[in-house]
Amino acid sequence: MLKQYPTLRFILMRGGWYFITFLVAVTINFYLPRLGKHNPVDIIMGKSGSGMSTEDARIKEEMYLQEFGLVKVSGSGATREIVRDSEGKPVRTTGFEQFVTYIGMCLKGDLGTSFQKYPKKVVDVIKEAVPWTLALQIPTIICGWIVGNVLGAMAAYRRGIFDKVFFPFALGLSAFPFFVFGMLLVYFFAVGFHWFPAMGGYANNVIPSFSFEFFSSAAHHYVLPFFSIFLILAGGQAIGMRSMGIYELGTDYIKYAKWLGLKESKVLAYLFRNAMLPQITGLALSLGVMIGGALITEMIFSYPGLGMAMLTAIQNNDYPMIQGVTLIITTSVLIANFTVDVLIGFLDPRVKAGLQIGKGN
Amino acid sequence: MAIFEVEKLGLHYLTRFGQKIHAVTDVSFSMDQGEILGIAGESGCGKSTLVNGLMGLFIPPLYPTCGDVRVDGESLMNRTPEDVRQNVLSRKVSMIPQGAFNALNPTRKVKDIAADVMAAHMKGIDKKQIYERLIERFNLFGMDTKRVLNSHPIQLTAGERQRSVIGISTLLNPQMVIADEPTSALDVTTQKVVIKMIFDLLEKGIFSTMIFITHELPLLRHVADNIAIMYAGEIVEKGTAEQVVFDPRHPYTKALMGAMLSAEPGQKQRKPTAIEGAPPNLAKPIEGCRFAERCPSAKPECKQKKQEIRIVGDRQVRCDYAE
Amino acid sequence: MKILKNLLKSPMFIIGAGLFFGTLLIALIGPIVYNMTMDRVGAQYAAPGGGYLLGLDDLGRDYVSLLLSGLRSSLYVGFLAGIIATTIGTLIGIYGGFRGGLVDDLLNMMTNLFVVIPQLVILILISASLQEGRSLTLIGVIIGLTGWTWSARAVRAQASALKSKDHISLAKLNGDNTLRVLLVHILPYIFSYVFMVFIIQVASGILSESAISMIGLGPLDTVSLGTILNQAKNTGALGDGVWWAFMPATATITVIVFALYLLNTSMDGVFNPRLRK
Repeated sequence: MLKQYPTLRFILMRGGWYFITFLVAVTINFYLPRLGKHNPVDIIMGKSGSGMSTEDARIKEEMYLQEFGLVKVSGSGATREIVRDSEGKPVRTTGFEQFVTYIGMCLKGDLGTSFQKYPKKVVDVIKEAVPWTLALQIPTIICGWIVGNVLGAMAAYRRGIFDKVFFPFALGLSAFPFFVFGMLLVYFFAVGFHWFPAMGGYANNVIPSFSFEFFSSAAHHYVLPFFSIFLILAGGQAIGMRSMGIYELGTDYIKYAKWLGLKESKVLAYLFRNAMLPQITGLALSLGVMIGGALITEMIFSYPGLGMAMLTAIQNNDYPMIQGVTLIITTSVLIANFTVDVLIGFLDPRVKAGLQIGKGN
Repeated sequence: MAIFEVEKLGLHYLTRFGQKIHAVTDVSFSMDQGEILGIAGESGCGKSTLVNGLMGLFIPPLYPTCGDVRVDGESLMNRTPEDVRQNVLSRKVSMIPQGAFNALNPTRKVKDIAADVMAAHMKGIDKKQIYERLIERFNLFGMDTKRVLNSHPIQLTAGERQRSVIGISTLLNPQMVIADEPTSALDVTTQKVVIKMIFDLLEKGIFSTMIFITHELPLLRHVADNIAIMYAGEIVEKGTAEQVVFDPRHPYTKALMGAMLSAEPGQKQRKPTAIEGAPPNLAKPIEGCRFAERCPSAKPECKQKKQEIRIVGDRQVRCDYAE
Repeated sequence: MKILKNLLKSPMFIIGAGLFFGTLLIALIGPIVYNMTMDRVGAQYAAPGGGYLLGLDDLGRDYVSLLLSGLRSSLYVGFLAGIIATTIGTLIGIYGGFRGGLVDDLLNMMTNLFVVIPQLVILILISASLQEGRSLTLIGVIIGLTGWTWSARAVRAQASALKSKDHISLAKLNGDNTLRVLLVHILPYIFSYVFMVFIIQVASGILSESAISMIGLGPLDTVSLGTILNQAKNTGALGDGVWWAFMPATATITVIVFALYLLNTSMDGVFNPRLRK
């Protein structure tokens, strides 16, 4: 039935594939943190439980157990009660029961409660952090991708001196780990020259609001994190584009276009477009690495985004928080991948015609 | 009057170590209006290099060494790349490449590639005119014009792609067409369709003069008036198609005929014999006859004495001992 | 041999190999010629000089010793992760690309699945749950086990391109069994390719370890370049302008990775003549 609508069919198939991937990711996200033998409630009790009487501690522990779905509960609302065995001890839930509860909660948009910021919900902490991360990462990745590809295509087409100087430079840039570059920028431009602030998303004395002061402060704090991600990304993209461009230059259709006497700008347009397509697929494949690297850069700059939320969570063994952030990251990477996949399907007739380039399956 | 003249043309590649590789040396011939010249030879004999030279298209590392190419009396040498691009390519000399599968930009519709060609050579032509002319021209080819024009290359069959390429190459009614192995990699039926299409275009006067390059001599006998055989960058024999195919005089041509599984009825039983050895390295200067190393009838002096083209009967042969 | 000759003509290869073997040499003979100590030898963040070339850290430990030890850890993790990831990736890639069919589809599906789930996320989740036993070896193994997807894809593409080549079809017609065809006809052809994949896997192993250590989830049993940086960040050395706390470590990571990238790119140029000019 869908045969008549190849585009719709294509989108649905890719969508279905990503949904399966999402389910696997959720499962991994649930089970991996449970590899260790420790019980999160013990950790949280160890932190806050000192100085409490045994009875108080027991009540508090049972409250946490219930909160984190580690014990069976009967009834609902006001009549909720912990199910107890014959000795009066709470009955523990199995891992699978916890998993089912977890999935149910995820589907309702509930990622649990933070240990560290108890009783604050994980979702609320993430909601505060996400705008910062999006504002930093989306423009940086897009700019880095565009600038890198344009420069890479020029290097491939022109070769000569431009390429000889540019290529090792770009290769060097792409060899920098994200966070290392961030550290160097902080050292030189924040600590050394005092041109830009070293930390945070805005100055301490401004309150986030729709005011000029806030936006100018945020912009000032934006510069260093932006460049530390942008430059490395552009370097890496330029290198990929350069070798794709050189490859495309040798193809028959470029030779034919020259034989036909097409204008140089047209030949370059052919070249750029076709070399760009694998680069888009490549972008999809490396999005995970990029976003990961950018999150670590956020940590270097103590930028108030997801990276920082993750770092704080890790330092405090705040498992629900760690899990929440990783799930959000994975989900965004999947959504971004899906978007790129569909986009390439529209841009490259070969993909829909069945001759898949790059991404198989 | 000769419409296409090639005079002592030499072409070389410049490697990045400054070494010159003389891929084509001392090529001369002239063609009259309406003539079809076949060029044959082993792969690597300089055919494809020659094609670029004949179009005046010198993209580094390819450079002209000496000689001249004239279309309608007008030289293609010493012109700026932009002049060649605009005034020679597609208009005066056009090229039908081999392997049409990859010759069309895979991400562009056939009509857009064709429109690019028109836009590159005609100033002030608008889109509507371009597409009208396209449809008119493609209607001549016996294909489902609308569908082919609106398709991406991958949606077309091999035959449709090759015919589209021929259509695009001849769009601007070039004075000269160079077809470089246009039928290789096609099945026999499609080959016939493509050959028929080329001759239809000749008949309709879209173009009249053609160089047909192939390694299939039997095919050349049917399509070409004259045949030139190339070896190691030189033309070693040139005569009418009948002469070269049935009565070769140069030892290389003879060997080539033997090496080819002939489709001629009388030669069915003849087994193909491979030519021993390999062509000389063109990066080094060669003193004597280039074929001497592999020639079954070579004399001791052949390796020292440079062979020049001479007239044997009414054909040209580059061998002092040919009769 | 001809390949080696061509490689030696490439300045990129010479610089890359020089840098890489240089660092390797330092890591190997450093502890022998230099008197390494992990004890407190002076004041917190004492500046370079006075017998300590790169100064002291926040616990008053000698940075040269820390750096040597960190360099060894990083190389160890890189090679361990690189070997594991390349082995798994090559096996899956060759098998999938060569055999085709249902098994290939399944393997390919699994590969594509794990390609899109960020490796860093998996690393964080595992490392965070392993509170006590987080050793350098374990981290290397985890990085290797989670990083193979990329090499599987790369090798698979090469193997399926090779599969259609004539000499392989011929070997199959001759009745050679799959294992023999793999060993004799496929592995030698993609060996150069697998080696390039390995180089990239080592580089990405080193980067992954330093990233995860940087976040504070690094090995607990030893010093690595990443843990040095983590310590520098946690103690505010960056903001205080204590350059010797992070510059040498960042430079070391960058030099190793840059050297490996150079090696890979120069090999690509030799194995892939089109990129040469």
